Parts: sequence; C-alpha cells; structure tokens
Amino acid sequence: MMAAAAPVQATRLPRQPGTRYPLDKSRGEWAMWLTIATEGSLFVCLFASYFYLANNKNRWAIDHPPKLHYALIMLAVLLSSSFVLHWGESQLKKQRYVAARVGLGITILMGLGFLALSAFEYMEHWKDLTPDSNSYGSIFYTIVSFHAAHVIMGLLMLSYTLTLPRYSPTSRSPYRPYHVAGLYWHFVDIVWVFVVAFLYVMPNVRVYGF
Amino acid sequence: MSATAVAQRLKTEWETPKSLWGKFATVDHKEIGIRYIVTALVFMCIGGIEALIVRVQLARPDAALVSPEVYDQLFTMHGITMIFWYAQPILSGFAIYVIPMMIGARDMALPRLNAFTYWAFLLSGILVYIAPCMGQAPHAGWFAYVPYTLYQYSPSHGMDFYAMSLILFTISMTGGAVNFILTIMRQRAPGMSINRMPLFVYSTFTISWVSIFAMPALTAACVFLELDRRWGTHFYTIAHGGSAILWQQLFWFFGHPWVYIIFLPATGMLSMIIPIFSRRPIVGYPWVAVSTILTGAVGFSVWMHHMFTVGMSDMSMSFFSAGSMMISIFTTVQIFAWVATLWKGRLVMTTAMHYALGSIAVLIVGGLNGVVTGIIPLDWQAHNTYFVVSHIHYVLIGGNMFPVFAALFYWFPKMTGKMLNESLGKWSFWICFVGFNVAFFPMQILGFIGMPRRVYTYPAGLGWSSMNMLETAGAFVLGIGILLIFINVFISRRRGRIAGRNPWNADTLEWATDSPPEAYAFVHLPTVASRHPLWDDHDEEADPSDERTLDDGRLTLVSTWLDAEPYAVASMPKETLVPLLACLTLFGFFLALVFQLMWLVLGCFLVTLSFAFYWLWPRPEAEEGA
Repeated sequence: MMAAAAPVQATRLPRQPGTRYPLDKSRGEWAMWLTIATEGSLFVCLFASYFYLANNKNRWAIDHPPKLHYALIMLAVLLSSSFVLHWGESQLKKQRYVAARVGLGITILMGLGFLALSAFEYMEHWKDLTPDSNSYGSIFYTIVSFHAAHVIMGLLMLSYTLTLPRYSPTSRSPYRPYHVAGLYWHFVDIVWVFVVAFLYVMPNVRVYGF
Repeated sequence: MSATAVAQRLKTEWETPKSLWGKFATVDHKEIGIRYIVTALVFMCIGGIEALIVRVQLARPDAALVSPEVYDQLFTMHGITMIFWYAQPILSGFAIYVIPMMIGARDMALPRLNAFTYWAFLLSGILVYIAPCMGQAPHAGWFAYVPYTLYQYSPSHGMDFYAMSLILFTISMTGGAVNFILTIMRQRAPGMSINRMPLFVYSTFTISWVSIFAMPALTAACVFLELDRRWGTHFYTIAHGGSAILWQQLFWFFGHPWVYIIFLPATGMLSMIIPIFSRRPIVGYPWVAVSTILTGAVGFSVWMHHMFTVGMSDMSMSFFSAGSMMISIFTTVQIFAWVATLWKGRLVMTTAMHYALGSIAVLIVGGLNGVVTGIIPLDWQAHNTYFVVSHIHYVLIGGNMFPVFAALFYWFPKMTGKMLNESLGKWSFWICFVGFNVAFFPMQILGFIGMPRRVYTYPAGLGWSSMNMLETAGAFVLGIGILLIFINVFISRRRGRIAGRNPWNADTLEWATDSPPEAYAFVHLPTVASRHPLWDDHDEEADPSDERTLDDGRLTLVSTWLDAEPYAVASMPKETLVPLLACLTLFGFFLALVFQLMWLVLGCFLVTLSFAFYWLWPRPEAEEGA
C-alpha cells in the first residue's frame, strides 16, 4: 500500500474559488471517543484487578453472592435511559428542540433514579460487607463507586447540555454537545452491563448455577 | 490583497499579547512546547543533582554523607523525576513545538487542552516536590512496591504525594495523548497521506495511543494504594485477601508501555536527524514506520518480564520471555534502517549527528543487555543488581537523552533563530559520551559480581570500591558535559550565528517557516506531494487565489485521516486563563487529598467543575468565518 503507490499529485482543493469549507464540527466528538477509550481501559484495569483477586481462591471472602434484584432494576433504568436519550437526539436532528430537551430531562431523572437505587443497594450491602472487611469488599465497592462517579459526571454533562442556550450567544444548534455528552452517557450505561455481569451475575451463577 | 497585508492580518489574529496576562493565558503551541522543554530540563537538573549526591555517597565504602532514609528518598526522587517529569515531557515538548508545523497546521487540535496539560505537568511536578520540602519524600524506588509503601511501613505523607502527583500526571499525559491523536489524524496538510508522514509524527502518534490504553493502569494502581494507605481497604494487604503482586501487575502493565512511551519518540527524532545529516532519505521508511507501531502494540505484552523473580507459571514465563525478545526485533529494524542510511549517505558530522551516532552506539549496548535480562536464567542472576541499573541507564540515555540532545541541536535554530555553537557542542558530546560510559559500564560488571541496586553503602574488601569510585567520577564528567550544553544554549541564544529558515537543508515542513516562526507559521497553508516536501519540485505554498490563507479568524484546515483530503476548516480558541485556573484548583484537589481534607477536596472539585463549564460554554466568535 505504501511503497507501491504511484507518485501522486498534491491534492487539489475541489471547490469553487471564493467558497470555504464548512466549519469543522467533529473535534469534540473525536475527543470524546478517545476519552471513552481511556476510561474504558480504566474499567478494564478495575475488572482485571477483581478477577486477579478472585483468583486468589482461598482468600476470596465472598460469603454470599450479592443479591440481584436492585442491580437488575438499575440495569433496566440505565439502559432504558439510553434509549430515551437516543430518542431525544433524533428529535434534535429533526429540529424539535422542546422534545429534545424533554428527552434530555427524562434521561437525567432516570439517572438520578439510578443513583437513588444504588444508595438503597449500598445500604443493603453495607450490613454484612464494607470496603475494609476484606479484599472482596474493597474491590466491589471501588468498582461500584467508580461507576457511580461516572454516572454523576455523565449527569453533570447532561444537565450542562440542558442549560445550553439555543439562540444566544451563538446561532448554532445544541446538537453537538447533546451528541457528545450522549456518547459518554451511553458509555456509562454499557459499563454497568459489565458491572452487573461480573460483580452480580457471575458469583450467583457460580454458587447456584443457571 | 498583498502578501504583507495578509501576513499582518494573520499576525494580529494569532499573536499572543506580550503582557503578563498573555504569559499565563497563551495557547500557542510554540510557546507551550518551549515551556515543556525548559521545565523538563529543569527537572532533569534536579534529578541529576540527586543522582550525583547518590553517587558521592557510593563512591567510597562505608560512607555516611547522608542518612540511609535520605539516601532512599534521593534515589527515589531521582528515579521518578527522570522517568516521569523529564523523559516523557521533554519529548512532548519537542512534539508540541514541531509537529503542528511539520504537518502544516497552525496549532494543535485542542490548544486550550494543550495549555492545560502543560500546567498539569508542571503542577504535578511541584506537588511531588512539596514532599521533600516537608522532609517526607517518597522513599520506595520509582516503582514503589507494596507492602513497603503501605501505611504500616511508610507512615509519612511521602507515598501519598507519590500517588496523588502521579494521578495528576496521568491526567496531563492522557490529555496530551488525545491532543496529539486529534492533531495528527485531522490536521495534516492536504496531500500528507499516512505514507508521507514524517517518522517523528509516526512515533508520537503511536505512543499517544499507547498512553490512552496504558495510563489508566497507573491511575488504578495509585488509587488502590491511596485507599489502602488511608481508607482501610485491602487491595494489597495479604492478611485480608489482598495481593501484593496486584500492585506489580498493574504498575508494570503501565510501566513497560511507558518505557516505549519515553523511547519511541526519541527513535522518531533519530529517524528525522540521521537522514538529514546523511543527505538522503531514510532507508526502509515503511519498515521503520511499521516497526514503530508494532513496538507500541507488542509493548503491551511484555510487562511480566519485570516480575520473573516473583514466581509464575512456566507458560507465562515462556510467553513473556518470547515477547520481550520479539520486541527487540522491531527496535533492531529501526537500528538497521539508520545504519543503512548512514552506509548509503554522505555524512555531515554536525553536533546533532554526533549525538545521534552516540545514541545508536549506547542503545545497542543497552539493547543487548536488555536481551540478557529477557533470558530468564540470566534475569534471575541479574535481577535487582547494578546490572539492571546499568541497563536502564544505557537504554534511557541512549534511547532518550542523547536523541533529545541531538534534537536540541537540530531544532534549536528553528526555535530561536540562532545556531548553537558547533565546536562547544562537539566538546559537550565527547565529554558526555565518555562520562556516561565511565559512569555506567562498570555497573554491568558490578552487577554480575553481586552488588545489589539501592544499597545505602557497602563494606570495603568486596572488590567493589574502585569501580564505584570510577562510576562517581564518570557521573561528574557527564554532569560537566550537560552543563556545557546549557552554557552553549545561554551563549548562543544571544550571540549565535543567524540560522535562517533552513540551516540544515532539511526536508520537512517546519523548515519552510521563519526562524523563529511567526505565530501563524504559514501564510499559505502548505500542500504536500511527497515524503520530502522541501526536497521535491512541488511548491508547497503555491496558492494564487489565496484560498489557503484563512486569515479571517484563527483557522486551520481539517483533512481526512488516511489520505489527508481537506474537508473542513477548524476554528481555534483565543488566549484564556481558564486552563491555568482549572489546573490550579485541580492541584488543590490532589493536595487536599494527600491530607484527607475532604471538605477542601469537595470545594476544589466543584470549583474545577465550574471552570470546566465556563471553558465549554459556546462563544459567538467561534461562528465567525463560517
């Protein structure tokens, strides 16, 4: 591909003289994808640590696998919030700004609901497991809290997008921030799928089978 | 419009005001690049002085120049200063300065993030140096193995400073990596398809991707460490089901890619400098480009060779031993390409070329004794001895410091408009080269006759004394050589010969700008028709109808990532204090975390967040010129 290429002329600019290329609109989206890549590898490191510690079998103090009901409800809330947000974005593309803002607002409320549920989940867990009881408690609470922190960051981004002005001081639509913050929100949601699978479902499967 | 009128418009558009505000608010990649370089060199001097004190302590048997605790702090601070706050930031500095011009753009893709990463780098360095000022420096070596770094064994705040400053540093590194990837993938001059990218751009591009995936492991390791130390968790405490090896796994999963992060851009520099002073294109360009990328990729699968003495399955040992030896093939490809270029070329023996050749010589020794440590039986013998100290210094001085000095001599004329003094430069090279080898070669022998690394002192009569004295003498000679470079820089900045645009008759686009370049770099954004824009017949800035001046705003072209076909115009932000302010509050956040002042932590977080919101608020000027 490289060496065999014939000598190529310099690229000409295929435009009418005097016209201008459109203003670049994708920088933030690219940067967000890279942020997701590096945040994703942070979670890979956390999950790898979880499995590394779990591999230490006779010291892995997981007495009762965590109960599933809260985690699954939270999963449902978070995943459906992604669909709501996606619906809002599609409304935005059709320039239905009010509907888009409503979609964003509902997503934020569902995110807050997720946080409230995780507070209950914490309280239930805390009775027989704390971060300083053993290595299982440490890694469990760390992963869940890291995810909760990411949910909070995502909610802050979405709330910020909700407050962005449409008409002043710029004339551009809030589509780009909406899309970029949305990407992060979808990422946070997908991480929760892995948290549920690794931290909640797998220990239950190990103990009770399918 | 006449050419001077266009240039004048671009100048008013791009130039940072020369005021105190301008100094703190600048987003100009040239200014930030030079700051990176200067700051990294200051950290190098601090780390160098620490190393000299260590060497004086070791010069004679049973010496007691410093106390054992201070000695531990000194070699630790030397290690982390050189590895984190010198070796990578100096390469970033050159890359931030050169790459936008090399690819024909007017700035990095995210100029404010660029300013932010500089401040984060500087403030993380200041954060870690608060610790020795409090007399509580980190003292567990640069890789800070648990359990020694846990609270029971290191109750002072030193290791907290270590963990927190490294997390701030990873933020800086990750931001820089994002910025490089966006710049290189989106802003190359029309026609600079990926098979025409300069090799320095290739290497910086590779290590930016490596940083994206490797840095989080360090963050996770440091978060676990801090939680274990101050918040009672049990990641690393064996009594409660933790694992001390977990730290090593996470640290080296970051740590070995890190070796390539501080090595590959330096090989990229050599791949620029050696062809220029051999007066011919590099031999095997695609091979060098591909082996650069493969080094970055395979660099993720060799980390356990730092842990061969820990104990692991035979399968793991074979895998990581094979990986470690495979990766030396890619480095060898690059070295053979350089040697072939030299072989086929007509050499111009400038100081930069001296440093480049010296670097190849040193790197070959360092690489060969690296292969030795990749062979497991030999590694078991050499582990934690001075042999490893010799290896790391041969690799990092041959693979980082000498190329950086070559790059300094090579790009200094572009940055200042003045040439560095060549004869003083050659003196400095020979003094550095001799001093370095005298300082570090005996360590290989000392390692094999049993001197462990990091010992405070040793008794007489072990046969180590004379070689240790020799090493200390060599270290001071190396120090004098480096001092000569600084003297050269200070003299030549004022009195050096005027450089002109392209003193080396080099081929890449940064040499088409003035020396020092104007803030906007190019009046007409260039187009490219070959790998060697300034050596071919194509007129890069030919633009009869002024289509590529883009002088009605801070604008630069955006092009596709493979073929570099332009498709958009990017609007660049103006000067702003927000990156600095956001960084200062982030600094407060981590400083408060060291002392667990949780209300202050929350306050700093909220203020940082509000700066970020202000930063991202849409501004009307961004729409101009659309």
